Amino acid sequence: MEKEERSIYRHISGKKLIAFAIIPFVVLTAMILFLFSPIGQSFLNSGVPMPEVTIEKIEFQEGRIVAFIRNTGPVDITIAQADINDRIHLAAIEPSRSLPRLTEAQVIIPFPWNPAEPYEVGITTSDGVRFSKNVEAAAQVLTPNVEQVLLFAIIGAYVGIIPIMIGLLWYPFIRRLNTNKYNFFLSLTAGLLVLLGIDAVLESNEIISENVAAIFNGQVLIVMVVIVSFLVLLYASETLTQRAAKKSVSANYSTSSLSSSASTTSQQQQELIKPLAISLMIAIGIGLHNFGEGLAISAAVLLGKAALGTFLIVGFTLHNTTEGLAIVAPIAKSGKVMIRKLIVMGFIAGAPTIAGAWIGGFLYSPLAAVIFLSVGAGAIFQVVYSITSWISHTSSRNRKSLINASTIAGFAIGMLIMYTTGLLI
Amino acid sequence: MAILTTGFVLSSFNQSSVKAQDHSKKGIVGEHTPGYNLLETVGDVLDPISFNSAEKAIIDPMHYLREFNYGRVSTLSDGVVLREFTLIASDNKVKEISPGIFYNVWTFNGTIPGPTLRATEGDLIRINFINNGSKFHSIHTHGIHKAEMDGVFEGIAPGGKFTYEFIAQPFGVFPYHCHMQPLEEHISHGLYGVYIVDPKTPRPPADEMVMVMNGYDTDFDTENNFYTVNGIPYYYMEHPIQIEQDRLVRVYLVNMLEFDPINNFHLHANMYQLYRSGTNLVPDEYTDMVTMSQGERGILEFKYKFPGQYMFHAHKTEFAEKGWMGLFFVKDSKAPQSNSDDVNDNNTTTSIVYSQNRSKFNLEEVSK
Repeated sequence: MEKEERSIYRHISGKKLIAFAIIPFVVLTAMILFLFSPIGQSFLNSGVPMPEVTIEKIEFQEGRIVAFIRNTGPVDITIAQADINDRIHLAAIEPSRSLPRLTEAQVIIPFPWNPAEPYEVGITTSDGVRFSKNVEAAAQVLTPNVEQVLLFAIIGAYVGIIPIMIGLLWYPFIRRLNTNKYNFFLSLTAGLLVLLGIDAVLESNEIISENVAAIFNGQVLIVMVVIVSFLVLLYASETLTQRAAKKSVSANYSTSSLSSSASTTSQQQQELIKPLAISLMIAIGIGLHNFGEGLAISAAVLLGKAALGTFLIVGFTLHNTTEGLAIVAPIAKSGKVMIRKLIVMGFIAGAPTIAGAWIGGFLYSPLAAVIFLSVGAGAIFQVVYSITSWISHTSSRNRKSLINASTIAGFAIGMLIMYTTGLLI
Repeated sequence: MAILTTGFVLSSFNQSSVKAQDHSKKGIVGEHTPGYNLLETVGDVLDPISFNSAEKAIIDPMHYLREFNYGRVSTLSDGVVLREFTLIASDNKVKEISPGIFYNVWTFNGTIPGPTLRATEGDLIRINFINNGSKFHSIHTHGIHKAEMDGVFEGIAPGGKFTYEFIAQPFGVFPYHCHMQPLEEHISHGLYGVYIVDPKTPRPPADEMVMVMNGYDTDFDTENNFYTVNGIPYYYMEHPIQIEQDRLVRVYLVNMLEFDPINNFHLHANMYQLYRSGTNLVPDEYTDMVTMSQGERGILEFKYKFPGQYMFHAHKTEFAEKGWMGLFFVKDSKAPQSNSDDVNDNNTTTSIVYSQNRSKFNLEEVSK
């Protein structure tokens, strides 16, 4: 059967194959052209297309308010007037008042705004429809100067790097635990991370629904990014583990003359590399997540939630200490003491907080924030998957089921800890 | 309000000077109030005050202000004066009601407000009404008349005609408007105007003008987006109404504002005699502030002692800041006399000189 099929397809030339690939596109193009033609338009033109403007961001600059707007409706529009708190004001619009579909513009309104007061910015199109957006508390937009860059770096280090390093200090403690207790801590890590991932998805959804126009299909975007990043990281971590394992095996062959001893060594190496890869993936996942945290912190600072700032930082610090634990747990029992590798992973997990704080503070974009948070969520879910399979691996080695009192308790307590420390934020 | 006044004066002059110097769309954005930042833009200016061209505007408020229609006059055999008017309703046009804002207007004779009808008490009024619209319309005139002339139960079909006939009584100032259902829709789209009945013994001579307070709900959320006097927001800020020092000014004021329960008229640096509904020759009040609900009206009489720019606006500041404000320019009667056209020119010149100084100042600030 297989041979027959193959012979049939061999008769088709390369040119014909290309033609077969192109034909559907030609038909599709013809159909689209027809729909846009006067004939197509005549029977499609029912209903009135409603214009739509999305105010994506509002910046408070010295003596002026700047609204970043986008035409997110189905038709081209012209912007006619601008208002603040529903009172008409003279304004400038750059680059132009006419906005074709999906294009953006900045509306600059000279206005002596007061810090910490709420404002509503309104944009009226040429057909008299008004679109508006509220800001809870006005705060001067940050310009990247040395002082601000340093401030955000310090906040990022406080929130990201230091607590993770503190968490890593559990390394010697976890090393000395028996398998049951160890599995408890691994499950605890999984519990922590699951809640963290869910939190990132919810956070993305909140940003999407408040700041990004419906036209971008925000929720679908989140789901897509989470799944794709999960799959990509899963593939990456598997490849990483396999490659590292192969390398160590071949290295062992060359150094050892006895094949039996080589196989046992490779077994040990496997036991070492797998958890290291998991820890690294956890560090990367947490890093992406912390990037999102950095965005959130600087956004909070930007929104003028100054009083919240300190509490927020304390909250994140406590919360992130548990992330250090998550990195430490998989490699704790792997025999070798790997202080240097741990510190590197601490940085991988923590340093993105600083980058996030900078980006959130100086060039905040809701869409970018959502994508980073979703990638972080995907990464975290991948890590949870890895941990779970690692627990099941160590459990089966000890002839135990994955589902037992210590893993379930660990998972539940992990979520509870994450929830409780999350309350502080 | 004083600060706002100065600000708007400066801004209105500044605007015109910017336009005079540079007709391109790029420009400088100043602001209403002193102390606002000025900025130079490479983009477009969203200017709520100046029209690019008056062609598509719903009305010329300066022309409307002092335009009284006395009708085609003839005397009947019994000596009664007959005044014939023609009003044509339409509801399919889209006009510019504020710079850059286009709205489906419903009008009498193509403008909002419709033409001002004027007669003397006891005249016979005949209004030939033609409905050129796509909906039923009518004319409901305030005043005393027969039920069948009230324009409430007899809707005129699209393409239909009707002749309203009644005696002008009593003297006073009245609104007329379409009375078809949904009433709110017909009025808020613009089907209204002013009807004045003079007493048989005329009021003392004065510089007379009509002012209709209205609004536009351009996004149909039963809240007005724009407030105006005589149809276009801020119009008299850019084009101050020129009046003479010590000369009696008489304003026939009508409130047709839909949706908001009240509206008001506040005059700066002066007081006026208020004749509520204009149905009496003795003033009701000496004030600088009158509040009216929809359909209420009155006659305001005042003189300005001192020359200069004076603001008038709704003292409901929300309405003021959405367009219901204007200026009187009181000409100095002691200034060297010339013919009236020159007086206008002089004023314009003054303001341009002033504005040029002002814009230099602006440019300096910008360059800093």
